[in-house]
Amino acid sequence: MSEIREHTRLTKDERDRRVLELCEQVSEIEQRLIPTGLHVFGRASVEAERADLLRMVASFDRPETGARALPQLIAEGLSVNTTSPPDEAATELSEQSLRAREQVEALTREAVGRFLREGSDAACAWLETAARVDVVESRRVFAVLEKIAAQLLDNRELDAFARALRGEYIEPGPGADIVQNPSILPTGRNTHAVNPYSVPSDLAYARAERLVKLLLERHRAEHGRYPAALALVLWGLDNIKTQGEGVAQALWLLGVRPLRDGMNRVTDVEAIPLEQLGRPRIDVVMTVSGIFRDLFGATMGLLDRAVQCVAALDEPPEANYVRRNIRARMEAEACPFEEAALRVFSNAAGNYGTNVNFMVMDSQWEADDTLADLFVTRKCFAYGRDAEGRALEGREARAALNGALARVEATYQNIDSFEIGITDVDHYFEYLGGVSKAVEKQSDARPAIYLSDALSREAKVRSVEETIRLETRTKTLNPKWYEGMLKHGFRGVAEIESHVANTFGWSATADAVDDWVYTEVAETFVLDEQMLERLRELNPHSARSLVARLLEAQGRGFWQAEAEMIERLRDIFTGLEDRIEGVA
Amino acid sequence: MKASPKITVLYVGSSLLAPLKQAEREIERAHAPGLRVAAYNFGAPLDESQWREVERELSESQVVFVIHVTDGENASRLIPLLEKYSSTQRAVVVINCMPELMRQTRMGRLRFGRESAEGRAADAKPEGGAARDGMARRLAGRVGAWMGEQARARRRKGRSHTQYLRYIERLPALLRVVPNAGRLRDAKNYLSLFCYFLQPTPANIRNMLLLALKHYAADARFERLELPPPESMPAVAIYHPDAPALFESFEAYRSWYERRAGKFTNLKLDPQQTVGLLLMRPQIVSGAHAHYDALIRAVEAEGLATVPAISTFMDNREACEMFFVEKRPLSVVSRSSREAERRLTKEGKRATDRSKTTDDGQRTTGKPRVSQIVSLTGFSFVGGPAMNDSEAAVEFLRELNVPFRSAVSLDVQTIEAWRDSWTGLNPVQAGMQIAIPEIDGATEPFVYGGMSQSGASPLPLEDRCQRIARRLARWNRLQVAPRSEIKLALVVFCFPPNKGNTGTAADLDVFPSVWEMLSRLRAEGYNVEVPASADELRERLLGGNSDSFASTANVAYRMTVEEYRRLCPFASEIDAEWGTAPGAINSFGGTLLVQGLQLGNAFVGVQPTFGYEGDPMKMLMARGGAPHHGFAAFYAFIEKVFGADSVVHVGTHGALEFMPGKQVGLSESCWPDRLVGELPNLYVYSVNNPSEGSIARRRSYAELISYLTPPVEDAGVYRDLAALKELLLAYRQTTDEGEREQLYESIEAKAASLHFDGTTGSVGSAEVNRRTPAHV
Repeated sequence: MSEIREHTRLTKDERDRRVLELCEQVSEIEQRLIPTGLHVFGRASVEAERADLLRMVASFDRPETGARALPQLIAEGLSVNTTSPPDEAATELSEQSLRAREQVEALTREAVGRFLREGSDAACAWLETAARVDVVESRRVFAVLEKIAAQLLDNRELDAFARALRGEYIEPGPGADIVQNPSILPTGRNTHAVNPYSVPSDLAYARAERLVKLLLERHRAEHGRYPAALALVLWGLDNIKTQGEGVAQALWLLGVRPLRDGMNRVTDVEAIPLEQLGRPRIDVVMTVSGIFRDLFGATMGLLDRAVQCVAALDEPPEANYVRRNIRARMEAEACPFEEAALRVFSNAAGNYGTNVNFMVMDSQWEADDTLADLFVTRKCFAYGRDAEGRALEGREARAALNGALARVEATYQNIDSFEIGITDVDHYFEYLGGVSKAVEKQSDARPAIYLSDALSREAKVRSVEETIRLETRTKTLNPKWYEGMLKHGFRGVAEIESHVANTFGWSATADAVDDWVYTEVAETFVLDEQMLERLRELNPHSARSLVARLLEAQGRGFWQAEAEMIERLRDIFTGLEDRIEGVA
Repeated sequence: MKASPKITVLYVGSSLLAPLKQAEREIERAHAPGLRVAAYNFGAPLDESQWREVERELSESQVVFVIHVTDGENASRLIPLLEKYSSTQRAVVVINCMPELMRQTRMGRLRFGRESAEGRAADAKPEGGAARDGMARRLAGRVGAWMGEQARARRRKGRSHTQYLRYIERLPALLRVVPNAGRLRDAKNYLSLFCYFLQPTPANIRNMLLLALKHYAADARFERLELPPPESMPAVAIYHPDAPALFESFEAYRSWYERRAGKFTNLKLDPQQTVGLLLMRPQIVSGAHAHYDALIRAVEAEGLATVPAISTFMDNREACEMFFVEKRPLSVVSRSSREAERRLTKEGKRATDRSKTTDDGQRTTGKPRVSQIVSLTGFSFVGGPAMNDSEAAVEFLRELNVPFRSAVSLDVQTIEAWRDSWTGLNPVQAGMQIAIPEIDGATEPFVYGGMSQSGASPLPLEDRCQRIARRLARWNRLQVAPRSEIKLALVVFCFPPNKGNTGTAADLDVFPSVWEMLSRLRAEGYNVEVPASADELRERLLGGNSDSFASTANVAYRMTVEEYRRLCPFASEIDAEWGTAPGAINSFGGTLLVQGLQLGNAFVGVQPTFGYEGDPMKMLMARGGAPHHGFAAFYAFIEKVFGADSVVHVGTHGALEFMPGKQVGLSESCWPDRLVGELPNLYVYSVNNPSEGSIARRRSYAELISYLTPPVEDAGVYRDLAALKELLLAYRQTTDEGEREQLYESIEAKAASLHFDGTTGSVGSAEVNRRTPAHV
């Protein structure tokens, strides 16, 4: 209560500002797209499910069709400004700007609603009246939506399955989510990756500039300086879907630009002059998934070249952290340049994953160091080339990775899609959590952990704690999400359990989960008797795992729970055990 | 004594080395003792020691050929070297390379970098008035324009490579009228060399070298040589290792094939059981085709006929149209025969007839003569190595509706290097010859042959050829066998292993999905049992006898160790890592357990996991060595005991494709290759995961069938969040400060209960910029 009293002493302006900030936070949660169920192979989407998705699709420019973002068209029609250009000071948060944004959102929602109910013509006409949007422009937008809406109602997956079994040709198709790339429709196709020599695309490189700026400025705002080194997790997933935004981010951190050869393939880099860059070159330790390594073999070489290029620049140490860190390590440990300059690491060739997820899921670790060392054991294989130009092909270089991680102050991973969040799968905590734990051990300090959220009109950088709160609020604790899952019965319970387990993974690797998250999970799914009974009926095995995971969180000190709550959880756990074993 | 002449050839691929070595021997014997032809494969980046060697060769050579080099890194290092030794080198002949290299061509007065200007100059200032010269001038003008195009940028998209080849075919005849002296001399020489190169028969390659020596070696021994015009070979044709010559028409091939069929084989060119192969022309012309021969023979040994077509490889559509498609005017197809085909389709045979409109608007029907197409070029279907027009490729293949496979020859690395490497196919080939064909819909990404360290032309990898051939035969069985006889294994996942997780898959409700698939199969005429509901399917799979084995799911089969060892010849390698079979995982009472449920001709199985559970030592290893016995037994059961014709994996994703082995271009000792064996592998996979999906395509030969991600909606607000939103709205709507103060108190209380403290929430651009000093 003392906190509240403190707030009441705020000035009127401070109070207004705090209200606006809370509005922002609430609307960020409210408007985040979440899956509200699972797909069943071959089943078409239901009309009612499409409105929010189509609105999101309409919120982006579609250069390939000439369609511009609908909210932008509306904002222009109304002569209001809702977005901030990347290089200018953002619009001050104000009641006025918030109202403008709400107005644009409401009109966008209404326009898409009208489109679904009455068709393109009606929606265009309405938009012209309500927001003075040029019909030529709005028609382009609805043409995109029309196509998607029709494709969503016509699922051919089972046909493709039957055709494939008859040995017919299955068309290839790109892989992404619909918002990123509507041409993933129709599904039922043989998904492909991208040509590694096309990466990063010009667009990806341009988008990465803004993101890297946000990332570095956020770190500076919180820590007073740029990170001496940053550990970057690179995956195939987002780099395929974004044509290499993660790769481009690495290049921007180092301060280099990609060069294309006469065949239009990215095969080299050149340094951006410091005066143009306007900040120091950041040292980047890249821990790369086995999948990225396989799919982007040529890019692995490019990233190593970028590091070597920056390391060779004759620049002052305060402007070139790569060179500074390499020098420091060579002097401190009498290690050769070649070893000190290794920055691109992945699994041993032919192997995948950090196993940190296996160890966490299977509760097989005791000390923090075990997870840190496991990450390094699995990821300490260097790629690139040696001084003689020979491919390294994954040379075991444990000391080199440990040495590079020892100077890291921040860890980071690019997230491209709302569809695969950091509590949806165990791979985010095994990689970003794993590398953060390894940094913590090598540098004796927990790094700042950041994630980007590139798939919104204005890309954002969040800390891992913020991201977990957002994921928890929009998914795990959100009735819209879990009721959607529970419609799928057995599998739905497993999904809920899996979200809790993945959240737990962030405690294990990054100590990034607030107590309240576990408390509310317990209250929502276990201590609510009706809910518990539903879970127990649908999938007693996953219900048991969920309770066991909560108890483990408390046991390992990740959750300061009240003793009484733990007692109740223990009783419930025993009851579930008995029921599964057939005792009760 | 005169210094020995020396030629350096920097090339890419596998077809040129053998004729070069042969030419070196022949020229040395006949004309110039001591002649040396130094040849280097420039397909992949060179290391420093190789560069030192190349530099030494370049410094000593009178003539340098640079052929097909498109690697940016090699090019950027080569150019300064060519410039550095320009005084020694009398001729630098660059053929079919990237523009910056093309500009390095230097032969007497010919400079490619300036050629377009010179071409115009030649047009403007004719050296004589005769008609002959006029023709030469026109030719020079066209050649100049062509060279300019070569030196400036990529060829235009969509231009027919065959057209270009036909133009080139006429070149030798045209060149005869060009004077051997004067300003056109060097341009003529370039084009003559180019003509020899385009038909790289051993004789042509020898003459290519001799022509260069004659004009640019300043060596009397060559100056008086008279060289014959190039031998000519057809641009597209059918090749067969047993045939005496190439076939320029399908009819000629058919009559030979059928005569042969009577004598040596039982193979007939039945469109339902014939494989169309696409071969690279230079390999055939230069005689570097042992790897093709082995694969063709391996396919025929499986009872499938072949049509091995030489493709121009810039655009495979032409060879396909010419040899793989039967064309008839539409009117010839009678109504009754079309109806008969429709009936056949209903009865379960595949529809093969495809109507389409040709470019000139005439309706024709194209009936495939083959039921599978395998490209052995490794390049994109339309566009070759330089570019890819996947849209055109997909349109063509969709129309034909014949599955497209693409296999790769190790052309820029040796077989030995591939065997020793855990990477497998190197990044250059993986990028160009795996990633790009995938965009055309290619499947079965196998390595089938390549250059050995000591040899000059490619050799087959016999076991890979056999594996490809057998897999093609399995695919063919899916195409032609009566559906009622086809057996299918549907595999679901369970991770972490626990009954509750059975049916693990990103965004997919697996049991209803499998149930839908089974229902569809039954409707299509497959002999499968469909449980009453998805729930019943799940209950039967998880229930059954699982309690008596303490297993996750019903045990469909108990494999004795003796049988396991017989079915898995590699089991002893697993012993080394997991202990003697049966081991601790998926075993019971000395036997290996296969978990699943047989439903008629369908088997719904639960894939074992990696087996690290409860074994931290296994997790702590930097490299995994092998799957566990239970994993191997599971796949042995599917292929060899149950006798599946295809395996279908359901959901994103399993463990098979992540088993240890090479990254791409697998060998017989890679685990995914051993496990999936000869089975066609369909994989129902999330459309939003192209990365892990691609691993499945490359390492377990999967054909993905993408599935849509679930419906999405705005998260919305709920419970206290909804209440907070109401309060915030109320605050903003009132102007009464007293009311606002009160509301604010409630807002803070609500925010606190929601754990919205000062640090909560995200920081977007706005907030960052607010906190950032302005001078940044």
